[in-house]
Amino acid sequence: MTLRPVEFHILLALAAEERHGYALLQEVASLTEGELQLEPGTLYRALHRMLKDGWVVESARRPAADVDDERRRYYRLAPLGRRIAAAEAERLHRLVTIARAHRLLARA
Amino acid sequence: MPDVTPRRLVWWLVRAYPPRFRQDVGLGLVDAIQDRMDARRAAGATAFGVWTPAILDTLRNAPPEWMRAALDRTPRQPDSIAHQPRNTGREARGRTMIDRLLQDIRYALRLWRRKPGFAFVAILTLALGVGANTAMFTIVNAVLLRPLPYHNADRIVSVWGRTSAFPRGLLTYREFEESAKLPQTFESVALWLPQSVNITGTDEPQRLVGTFVTASFFEVLGLRAERGRLFTNEESAPGTVKPVAVITHTTWQRRFNGDPGAIGATMIVNGVPLTVIGVLQPPFDPDRAPSDGYYISTDLFIPLAQFPTPNGLAAAGPVMLGVARLAPGATVARAASDLDLIQKRLAADGSQPAASGPSFTAASGRTLFVEPAQESVVGTSRPALMLLFAAVGVVLLIACVNVSQLLLARAVDRDREIALRAALGASRGAVTRQLTVEALLLAFVASIVGLGLGRFAIAGLAWLRPPASVPIPTDLPFDAVVLLFNGAVALAVALVCGLAPAVRAARPDLARTLQAGFRRASGTGRRTRDTFMVVEMAMSVALVALSALLIQSLLAVQQAPLGFDASNVFTLQFRLPQAKYAKPEDIARFFKATIENVRAVPGVQSAALVRAVPFSGNGGTVAYNVEGQPQPDPASAPQALFHLVTPDYFKTMRIPILEGRDFTDRDDLTTPLVAVVNETFARRVFPDEDAIGKHITTPQTKGPITIVGVVGDAKHYTSTEPQRAQLYAAHYQVPLIFSSLVARTNVAPMSITDSVRKAIWAVDKDQPVWSIYSLETAVDRTQGQSRFLALLLGIFASVALLLAGVGIYGVTAYGVAQRTHEIGIRLALGASGERVLREIVGRGARLTLIAVAIGLAVAVLMGRLATAVLFGVKPTDPAALAGAAAILALVSLAATYLPARRAARVDPVLALAEE
Repeated sequence: MTLRPVEFHILLALAAEERHGYALLQEVASLTEGELQLEPGTLYRALHRMLKDGWVVESARRPAADVDDERRRYYRLAPLGRRIAAAEAERLHRLVTIARAHRLLARA
Repeated sequence: MPDVTPRRLVWWLVRAYPPRFRQDVGLGLVDAIQDRMDARRAAGATAFGVWTPAILDTLRNAPPEWMRAALDRTPRQPDSIAHQPRNTGREARGRTMIDRLLQDIRYALRLWRRKPGFAFVAILTLALGVGANTAMFTIVNAVLLRPLPYHNADRIVSVWGRTSAFPRGLLTYREFEESAKLPQTFESVALWLPQSVNITGTDEPQRLVGTFVTASFFEVLGLRAERGRLFTNEESAPGTVKPVAVITHTTWQRRFNGDPGAIGATMIVNGVPLTVIGVLQPPFDPDRAPSDGYYISTDLFIPLAQFPTPNGLAAAGPVMLGVARLAPGATVARAASDLDLIQKRLAADGSQPAASGPSFTAASGRTLFVEPAQESVVGTSRPALMLLFAAVGVVLLIACVNVSQLLLARAVDRDREIALRAALGASRGAVTRQLTVEALLLAFVASIVGLGLGRFAIAGLAWLRPPASVPIPTDLPFDAVVLLFNGAVALAVALVCGLAPAVRAARPDLARTLQAGFRRASGTGRRTRDTFMVVEMAMSVALVALSALLIQSLLAVQQAPLGFDASNVFTLQFRLPQAKYAKPEDIARFFKATIENVRAVPGVQSAALVRAVPFSGNGGTVAYNVEGQPQPDPASAPQALFHLVTPDYFKTMRIPILEGRDFTDRDDLTTPLVAVVNETFARRVFPDEDAIGKHITTPQTKGPITIVGVVGDAKHYTSTEPQRAQLYAAHYQVPLIFSSLVARTNVAPMSITDSVRKAIWAVDKDQPVWSIYSLETAVDRTQGQSRFLALLLGIFASVALLLAGVGIYGVTAYGVAQRTHEIGIRLALGASGERVLREIVGRGARLTLIAVAIGLAVAVLMGRLATAVLFGVKPTDPAALAGAAAILALVSLAATYLPARRAARVDPVLALAEE
């Protein structure tokens, strides 16, 4: 089963650190160099599914109070989400290797 | 513009998502939306540029989330259940039931998605049927079921004087007076009569409709004044002449531009100046009610005392309509028996006025008759509406049967799946439930679509210009009753559609179905399918036969001899003001001058006056006695249609003079009375003698009348009425203030309208004229109902035939497809293709025969329902019934032949290889 791009991007955006919703949107945009501009509804529908399936959890921790807005909900990767993201990255890596072997992709 | 988006507004957006979703991530979503909007604003976007993406985002994502919520089977997260302490056993059971139901709905939706064609055809078929029924019911509800829009309208009754000739006739003033003395029975009783009145003192003389009423009229109907006041009893009673009038709201707007100064203004009505004392507050919009509001379909109200009658109302005989409000608790039956007593007493003490007015008959022949006002107002619409209602019901039944066949065919396809589910432990109930849910879902969707289609259907009906008997009020309520009906129809549809497949599925032969290839197990559904086919064909035959009856009836109506030539005849009506034309000589002088002027109008070949133009709805009867014949008692004196005509009337109408002569100008007030009778009169009264020279007497005329001519029979009210005896008297000898003009033209009749009006105004510049139309239009209008019903039933029958044809084709084709294997074997064993074809077509023919027999019986029953609208044809008319049977046989033959031919061409090798 393949992961949906939206989901994979969310997992990637959460890989480095936990984030709140809008930060996630910005991170996805910057990860894709502005190619994927998610709207909040799309993001949260995916997030909702991933929360229910246990890929992502709502974080109990908060950053330091002076940079935080009290009301924000932070999300972080659950172990399951991390494994899924790793598996997807592995799958993509294999594909990229094959593509390279067939000279579809220049060596980095 | 604030820099920060108000959080509350964003919450409203997020409310578009399902509650569960909001509960889980709503706050986060609100934050993200708000952040995104703030960022956009900071980047310089306008309010539009900020909100539009947010709204679009919600529109795109909220609906799928609702779908997901509906389809989501996962139970609630444990932690959220923990927050709900009242998780009792009952609630859990309730949830599993709802879960199961949702599961069934999901399953049905999946099936539809897999076969969208099936869902589309089934829903469309049902929706058309439901739509037609909803449309008809909406009209029936508005016209027949909804009470008249007056206060406590169920207590309003009509009071009629009944004679053998007129079951719903007028009342005398004495009858009204006596009825008003029964407070236990009637809270109030009123007389009323709408009549054209002349309005003068304006640039051109005008005609308005004025209703002459007793003051109690407003009490009976519960009407109030919007401005000023209504009449007092002193103002309305005969003998007291207080010149006042009450105008309707429309008249106030139209003639006085809503000027408050209208109260106190003067209107010259029939030559008498009346002071406007009030504006009536309409209880509803009369233009949008059935029968245009009936009681208040008028321009102004005038006290009864002003009613134009030569010797006063008390002596005038029955000239007024009666309406009353029952006392609380009183019944129509009680009112009827009370009125009966009054009538007997009046007849006995001889206090009824002797006679006058052309519609009056001997007092002792009368009874008083009371009925709910609703019946008087809309009763005439019932036969046509009920017939149409029955017809759309039949169309819906056929549609249901078609869809039921589709479902059944598919259920057979799903036999293996259903049997498998049953074998895996699904209870039979579960399988039946699933099929029932699917049928319910179909019916539900179809009924929603049908509600919409129904609105279009009503617009379509209105576009077909229905006759007066099928009133389509513009004020059609979309009320709870209509919704309830729609729901009930949907349930019935689900029942008819879903029953057979569900019953069938409830007793599947598991072992057999699972062992056999499912195709061969399909013979079990055959009997059900046959039954459906028979029902469908029978209903179609019934509708086709009924529409054939109505078409024949229409032809009969159109071909019925009128007795006169309606083409190129111009007519108009007028009423002379009583005050100005007090003496008969004055009226006669106006008549003569008018005819002379009209004859001089270019394009007019001949012209005459007649009191009541045929097909205008005006007319009256007279009781007569023949000199030298035994005098029957007044109650049973024979009646004839009574006409007053000037010379040249018969020539103008092209009614042939069979014997004797026409009236001449010398038959006037100074010469002995003469009359002309029609053929029916002459034959009935003087079967073995010559009518010419005989003398008759009538209560309306002084002295004996000599018959001087016999003319051909002519119809008077409708082309479908039985021919009546007709008595024509000379209009110059009996000049009355109301009369009509008929003129035969050698140009288009309506083209002379202006010249004729000028010709009349040259005689009296203050005389308004109205009801200006060609006689042909009037005749045509009376045939409107026949035409409309024939057209609609024709449409319904065509739809029924189409559905039946498709249904028969579908069932036969399906049956053939099911039997491909068996047919293959038979062909391989040497049966000829022709034999297979003959067998399949023969089977269809047998079913058709049964269906025709049932259908014709139904047609005769429905025809009985239609007798009120049929003319010249009986419900058992052999030609119509045989024609319908033949048409259905053709359709059925074609629909079975096509699949049968395919069966005959089955390649045995391929058919057997399929195994």
